[in-house]
Amino acid sequence: MTLKLVVRRSTEIAEGIREIVMTRPDDGPLPAHPPGSHVVVDCGPQRNAYSLTNCGIDPGAYTVAVLRRPTADGGSGGSEQMHRFQPGDRVALSPPRSAFPPVSTARRHLLIAGGIGITPLLSHARNAVRWGADVRLLYVHRPGAGAYADELSELLGERAQRVTEKSEFSVLLRQALVSQPMGTHLYVCGPAALMDRVLQEAAAAGWPPQRLHLERFTPAELDPGQPFTASLGRSRRQVSVPAGTSLLEALENAGVEVPNMCRQGVCGECRVPVLAGRPLHRDEFLSEDERVAGDSVMCCVSRSETETLEVDL
Amino acid sequence: MGLQHTSVPRWPTADPGVDRTGRAYAVMSFGPDAAPLAAGWGRELHALGRTVWSWHGEAATDEAVAELRRQVEYATVGWRLMLAGPQCDVLRAHAEALRGGVLEAEITVLVTDAVRTRVWCAHCGATTLADAALGEVTGCSGCGRSLYVYHHVSRRTATHLGFMADAEELQ
Repeated sequence: MTLKLVVRRSTEIAEGIREIVMTRPDDGPLPAHPPGSHVVVDCGPQRNAYSLTNCGIDPGAYTVAVLRRPTADGGSGGSEQMHRFQPGDRVALSPPRSAFPPVSTARRHLLIAGGIGITPLLSHARNAVRWGADVRLLYVHRPGAGAYADELSELLGERAQRVTEKSEFSVLLRQALVSQPMGTHLYVCGPAALMDRVLQEAAAAGWPPQRLHLERFTPAELDPGQPFTASLGRSRRQVSVPAGTSLLEALENAGVEVPNMCRQGVCGECRVPVLAGRPLHRDEFLSEDERVAGDSVMCCVSRSETETLEVDL
Repeated sequence: MGLQHTSVPRWPTADPGVDRTGRAYAVMSFGPDAAPLAAGWGRELHALGRTVWSWHGEAATDEAVAELRRQVEYATVGWRLMLAGPQCDVLRAHAEALRGGVLEAEITVLVTDAVRTRVWCAHCGATTLADAALGEVTGCSGCGRSLYVYHHVSRRTATHLGFMADAEELQ
């Protein structure tokens, strides 16, 4: 299913960051969604995932905030197209997908945002305030690029800490990680280096992975991986997956259709049940427990630890 | 639904070893068999330089559970709970910890024996402490009915479900 929406507003809200508001052509209601959800937007040649800043209850509009990020080769990334959208333009996007929701049993929600990674956490913050949940925010960004700074300080008051100095962030992060009451869950979104650092320091402070939740908006750099064979349980076929080719691509080349969307391990659409063999998980979608269970694999990025991976296709 | 989906806890009966990933620890043990094991954990954690709060008693009494509740209230994330003792006692402490927001991943359990069971009566709601294994029958301390100890365990109330063993027999 694809939603066909209309851009109603595009505003520069901080240096290099535009906020884009989309509604249905008739301004009718849109599908509700859990906080921290994202949509996958058709932006020219690419489809990019963007977090919704709405808290998700009865939305009349979907709002995303996009940092303009030219690609390394000087070409036009999806964010350029997003920045070009004008009011009245049509835009095709997926319905909201939830891969970063708040944990309902959490005693406290500790939100950590780096730069444009604030967008899903703004959604979390709005939700927490709406329901009176205990929430804390630590937000680090470049000077002048603090999207939603005013709104967050109004929303959270002293519960929000915002810094632009890395050294200051380090001190606050370390304090935060050793002072949260039992039952706190941590949510982090930002550049890969920041998230890796938060996860590493949290683990060193004794946080189990079940309390740590992350949303990567830049897919992790993946190596080409080892070749393996996909054995298709239902059609009794063998498909070889060379290094550098994803399981999804190999299946498509063999004429096997698998529903898919983001093709970068985020959206969860291309999940395939595993019958035998051990998957090498490289996605951001499956939970810790699902990874350990090893009975499904996100075929767009994940591979196999065993020479053969038998899938239910 | 086979037995792999049972709610009956399957905790280790041999020392699972100390979980070294925590920053501060509570070690609780019940009964004579658990005492030396818990003492061993405490020594190892002290040697690792971790903060340890230790508690030992004969059973998971109301006082013991209240003591644990206070520990959880003051704990910060990074805290770990290690429990050793008879299953009915560790189950009770385990339930209290879960209520306080502690995750399974933060609790290490060692069961020294599983003879004693807390049985919750589906008819009158009383909880009976009984030496009855799964599938055996025991008398309810509340209503006197003969209760069949069913393989359904509440992790919230730390009890096995018991129901009238002869409910469908003509009186």
